[in-house]
Amino acid sequence: MATPTAPRPGEPADAGSSEVPQYDWEALEHTPEFQELIRKKKRFVLPATIFFLSYYMAFILLAGYAKSFMASSVYEGLTVGYVLALSQFVMVLVLGIMYLRFSNSEYDPLRQRVIDMAQRGTAREETPAAGTSGADR
Amino acid sequence: MTVFAAVNVEAIVIFTIVLSITLGITYWASKRASSAVGFYAAGRQITGAQNGLAISGDYLSAASFLGIAGLIYVYGFDGFLYSIGFLVAFLTVMFLLAERMRNSGKYTIADVLSFRLRERPARVAAALGTLAVVAFYLIAQMVGAGVLIQALVGIDFTPAVILTGIFMLCYVIFGGMVATTWVQIVKAVLLMAGILVMSVFVLGKVGFNPIELFNRANENKGPESTFSLGPGTFLPEPIDTVSLGLALVLGTAGLPHILMRFFTVPNAKAARSSVVWAMFLIGFFYLLTTFIGFGARAFLGEKGVEAAGTGGNLAAPNLATYLGGGEGTFGGDLFLAVIAGVAFATILAVVAGLVLSASGAVAHDIWSSIVRKGKESDREEVVVARIAAFGIGLIAIAVAVIGGSGLNVSFMVGLAFAVAASANFPALLLALTWRRFNTVGAVTGVLCGVISAIGLVIVSPKVWPGADSETGSPIGWTLANPGIVSIPLGFIGCWLGTVLSKEHGTEHTFHELYVRSETGLGAEQA
Repeated sequence: MATPTAPRPGEPADAGSSEVPQYDWEALEHTPEFQELIRKKKRFVLPATIFFLSYYMAFILLAGYAKSFMASSVYEGLTVGYVLALSQFVMVLVLGIMYLRFSNSEYDPLRQRVIDMAQRGTAREETPAAGTSGADR
Repeated sequence: MTVFAAVNVEAIVIFTIVLSITLGITYWASKRASSAVGFYAAGRQITGAQNGLAISGDYLSAASFLGIAGLIYVYGFDGFLYSIGFLVAFLTVMFLLAERMRNSGKYTIADVLSFRLRERPARVAAALGTLAVVAFYLIAQMVGAGVLIQALVGIDFTPAVILTGIFMLCYVIFGGMVATTWVQIVKAVLLMAGILVMSVFVLGKVGFNPIELFNRANENKGPESTFSLGPGTFLPEPIDTVSLGLALVLGTAGLPHILMRFFTVPNAKAARSSVVWAMFLIGFFYLLTTFIGFGARAFLGEKGVEAAGTGGNLAAPNLATYLGGGEGTFGGDLFLAVIAGVAFATILAVVAGLVLSASGAVAHDIWSSIVRKGKESDREEVVVARIAAFGIGLIAIAVAVIGGSGLNVSFMVGLAFAVAASANFPALLLALTWRRFNTVGAVTGVLCGVISAIGLVIVSPKVWPGADSETGSPIGWTLANPGIVSIPLGFIGCWLGTVLSKEHGTEHTFHELYVRSETGLGAEQA
């Protein structure tokens, strides 16, 4: 990815926030592109996270409290429990691939726009000065 | 049983081959590990697919391979249930941390915290979390290695532990992350190949019909068997199962040796694709593990339980002997030796990753950033990291040898996950997402997580008064896995510390971390 040159080349320790930032990070945070990236990401990641945690916990709770149901047979030696366990594998792969797709098609282009803007230095002009826009604290 | 008798010649040959390959890799890698970025992060030159393989190699310990197969053999479904948590955990890693770690960190998880928090306390807290996880995980692996090598090859426990430790130190000290990565990749390939061949053999015996395998497995349980196609035999207490499940699903996203792998790729895109690779490989592996476990039950039956040892750890090797033609035949001995070699490679790759992440916590976080305050040279940091790795390795070997094969390590891996989920995960997640989060919150959160997870395990019935006790814990604590209590405590600690302190200014530095972690702007370059 064509990100700008690192602000701290060859420095042994990560000095982090103690350095003067190379970009106007606060202005970048408030650009519509960045806000759209966060909104779009949240729209998938938040429900997906709630879903997979609930689906997994439901499986664990069934194994804990509905033992005979989980042990009942779907077809001969294949039990309900084993089938539900397999469905967890399917869930992991489906959600994983969905995230990969959304990242490539939606999140990455938005990221690139934020990066381009930072490199051109345009974010500074579009938004009010630092401090006034931080009302959401 | 032959596996307990004299030294197995075929196994020695296979072990020598495995060791020669890994030492060759280390020699080749040693030239690339002279700078800090080379030593800790393999120069950030690992591709997504390579890193996916290496993550699998870092993650799938002998406990996953022999342990889960053995649990399925002895207990059936509950063994499989265990592995689901290990897999689902990668969604947590992918959605919440993988790309953000790559974008905002350098070598260790402390880098991410100290980015916006006061550096010294943040680094000390993160290093504490890292070292606590590594200590429990590493000792469990070392003792497990000694027990397995003793059983499989006939080498005694103490020399087996020392041998494992020496090779682990060789990879890390001379080859750094480059060697560790390639040892993990070689191990992942060997492990996948080994389990695939075994699965094909097992399925071949039942006409490639998995249902027939389940039927046969179920027919082969004795009258007093613990084996069941349904749940509840290994994990009888539902609340304990939930607690364990929670720790597994959130703990993986706090394991320092797994998170460190994301610093080895060139960018966040590669970090993302490496998680998908790892998911496929690990999912495929756990699926095949059920064929090994059920296969062992179908063909070795109830009479093989005793020979399979504690927790059925030797079920997979014994099944290999059976599949190769049985005890005393060349095919049987050879197949056993191959599986033993795979198990050995498995252990080596995991312990190397653990030692490397601990050396990062000691050298990069404590020595360079706190003792020397970032004034030391790149060269000095690598030297210190090597010395740290050596010290950590020696301590691990010493504890494993002194503790001996009787050391109860069964709870240690679970404890490592619980500490990771209760201390590292809340602090990392909140540092990356909560504007208000501050240094006091991070320190109290990590302390709450570490202390509550360890404390609750100490008072748990398995540890105090001991695994064989009938009376249970003297203070009446019945939960074996602390996660369900300690994970919320970790988050509450982070929150309370934050809102109760007067510390400000971390909101300001949040802008940079936020934009950087989400976009990769200003991230460490490849």
